[in-house]
Amino acid sequence: MDFALNEEQEMFREYLRKYLNDVGQTKVARNFIKGDLQGFLDIHSGLTDLGCTSINISEEYGGLGLSSLDLVPFFEEIGRSLLPGVYLETMAFAVPLLELYGTTEQKENYLPQIASGSKKITLAWLEPNKSFNPDEVECSAEINGDSLIINGVKTLVSGGDIADIYILLVRTGEEVEEGLSLVLVDHSEEIKRNNLKCVDESKHLAELKFNSLAVPINQVVGPINQGWSLLQEGLLYLNAALSSQMVGGMDRVVEMSTEYAKIREQFGQPIGRFQAIKHRIVDMKLELETARSLSYYANWTLENSSDDRAAAIYSARSFAAEAYIRSASQNIQIHGGIGFTEEIDCHLYLKRARYFENYLGSSQDYNEQVALALAW
Amino acid sequence: MEFTISKKEEAFREELKTWLSENLPYGWMEGKREIPTTKEEYSKFLRDWQRTLYEGGWAGIAWPKEYGGRNATIMEEIIYHQEMVRVKAPPLINYIGIHMVGPTLIRSGSEQQKQKYIQNILTGEEVWCQGYSEPNAGSDLSAIQTNATKDGDCWIINGQKVWTSYGHLADRCFLLARTNNHPEKKHKGITAFLLDMKQSGVETKPILQMDGNQEFNELYLTDAIAHDADIIGEVDEGWKVMIELMLHERVGIGAELFSLEMRFNEMVEIAKEHHVNEKPLLEDRFVRQKMAEFYARYRGSLLNYYRNLTNTLKKGHPGPESSIDKLLVSELNKEMASFMITIQGHHGVLWKENAPVDTVWQDEFLASFGQTIGGGTSEVQRNTIGERVLGLPKDRGR
Repeated sequence: MDFALNEEQEMFREYLRKYLNDVGQTKVARNFIKGDLQGFLDIHSGLTDLGCTSINISEEYGGLGLSSLDLVPFFEEIGRSLLPGVYLETMAFAVPLLELYGTTEQKENYLPQIASGSKKITLAWLEPNKSFNPDEVECSAEINGDSLIINGVKTLVSGGDIADIYILLVRTGEEVEEGLSLVLVDHSEEIKRNNLKCVDESKHLAELKFNSLAVPINQVVGPINQGWSLLQEGLLYLNAALSSQMVGGMDRVVEMSTEYAKIREQFGQPIGRFQAIKHRIVDMKLELETARSLSYYANWTLENSSDDRAAAIYSARSFAAEAYIRSASQNIQIHGGIGFTEEIDCHLYLKRARYFENYLGSSQDYNEQVALALAW
Repeated sequence: MEFTISKKEEAFREELKTWLSENLPYGWMEGKREIPTTKEEYSKFLRDWQRTLYEGGWAGIAWPKEYGGRNATIMEEIIYHQEMVRVKAPPLINYIGIHMVGPTLIRSGSEQQKQKYIQNILTGEEVWCQGYSEPNAGSDLSAIQTNATKDGDCWIINGQKVWTSYGHLADRCFLLARTNNHPEKKHKGITAFLLDMKQSGVETKPILQMDGNQEFNELYLTDAIAHDADIIGEVDEGWKVMIELMLHERVGIGAELFSLEMRFNEMVEIAKEHHVNEKPLLEDRFVRQKMAEFYARYRGSLLNYYRNLTNTLKKGHPGPESSIDKLLVSELNKEMASFMITIQGHHGVLWKENAPVDTVWQDEFLASFGQTIGGGTSEVQRNTIGERVLGLPKDRGR
């Protein structure tokens, strides 16, 4: 029995923590909110130098050849610092899908560029006023010789303005699920990109309009019309990483509350003495540790192709999503008046928690996935 | 990260499995799990079971070999609990003796005390209870008033204890009594006695619990007598002995957690079989959502436990994080039992032989309130976690 990250993984976490401390943790996100994109790009190249963007890319394509558990410290730490970017979609969706299903050409083309930090990939799935259900995907890709002609609109695309490449879920056939494909689309002037305002201002969302955009047919990932099942595979990786990212945020939230309760004095004593405060923080800690255990295990199941991986990953995701909102909310209450100000980070974590709540499906959707995975 | 168990551990499990299948009370494996209810028969049945465990070498497995144990590793102890839960083995009547008093005696008892008590703890000949709580000292245990006064080489003990589990069946008591009054620090001046329960100055009165059981007692001490030789540790230093005694629970909440896992699985089976409006309950959207949430929470508790266990294995002793396990498991157990009654609809009010399903969830529900109070209330656990894990300041008065 050894249920803990190993020494190398913990050491990597320390390096990352130190690096992100040195650059001011949430300061990067705060500057990004004010419009400082370059600051973020500098951090991005710093993280690249530390090897973050090559962790799970195989060695022949310039990566470190590690796997999901090795991503855990990275996602926890960027969750803690609320870092902008599309790491989730790039490292925990595009990379595993390309490694598993990409053609040699696609791998050669994209993986080294991801590893070197020069390309960032995001996922474009949702359409205006539609749900995440497969029957609501209308954005179409018609085969025309060696090309696909794409028409339609994708919205709420995470990091839409900083991504260089989109993985697009498009309709290529009539079958509800087996008529969908995933296509790699490089950003170009022909794609009309419109930024959307988001409650979590450290997340930039975009709407993308495709008007008869021609893309080579060899940009399809995996077999054509098998996009939905590939997407499901990719979502396992993405949600396992997402659960770690949320744990990282929760960890900081519990730490903020604890630190504040030790120094803030009222009635002549630190408020952390009062059980109304102390017990509330303990309940946050319980949820944090539960979420952390679930996320470690979720990533372990991926690395070991365990039979229970879907149940493990989706339960980790929905538990963390709900718990993150609860603790980020309590954090504001524990801080009192100062917690309601813009100056203190409390609100940033709450906004991030809300951003993730329904990202690529709701907690109810994922609970249902758990039920199905358990053959209920 | 590694969840597999070694070949040696697997062999240990197989050996225990085989032994259990051959030695559990007649009909137990087939589901005839009845324990007599009268006090004398109940006591005899469980003492016989412990004797059987002892003779098979399965009592006090974590104890050193020279004291009759088998020097089991922490992992073997975990496996032991898993298997006992799996076969729903009869309760261990001398739980307190085997898991707490015995190991404390082995470490801190005098040679004479070891000679006198150790063997009888293991065989079940002498059942132990703990005399801790009093009517005015519950969570605030250091406020105990039961008094021991020295008289020659004797101590005369007067006072009242309460919530004494197995007190009515016990032969011996690990008793905390006040031998001195410290003006500021209440926990100083308490002494730990190994008290003979079979004397005229000791009287127990069973307390009827809300779930219909009578497991704990009021314990009245009226000029009860102990001798110098019955003191464990030093006079006035009993608090330390008690803390040490709690540390011997090195696998912590393991058994309760494995029971919780089993009950969760039973809950799923019931929700599959039970039909409402001709549809299995498990197809109901509300039920599915709640059950998926319970799945995450029970798996999370189990995995937390494994994470804390990993720390214990590295350090050799459990840290304050074990309070997290206790709090999570007891609270979750309560909510799960409550939910199981809710989904039985109005039939959920039927009890005992009329209960709608085999596992009497009505009993589980009622009993679950004991778990969030006994062994340190959930509030005390939260204080421990807040102060010892998070480093928050203690509130005044403690």
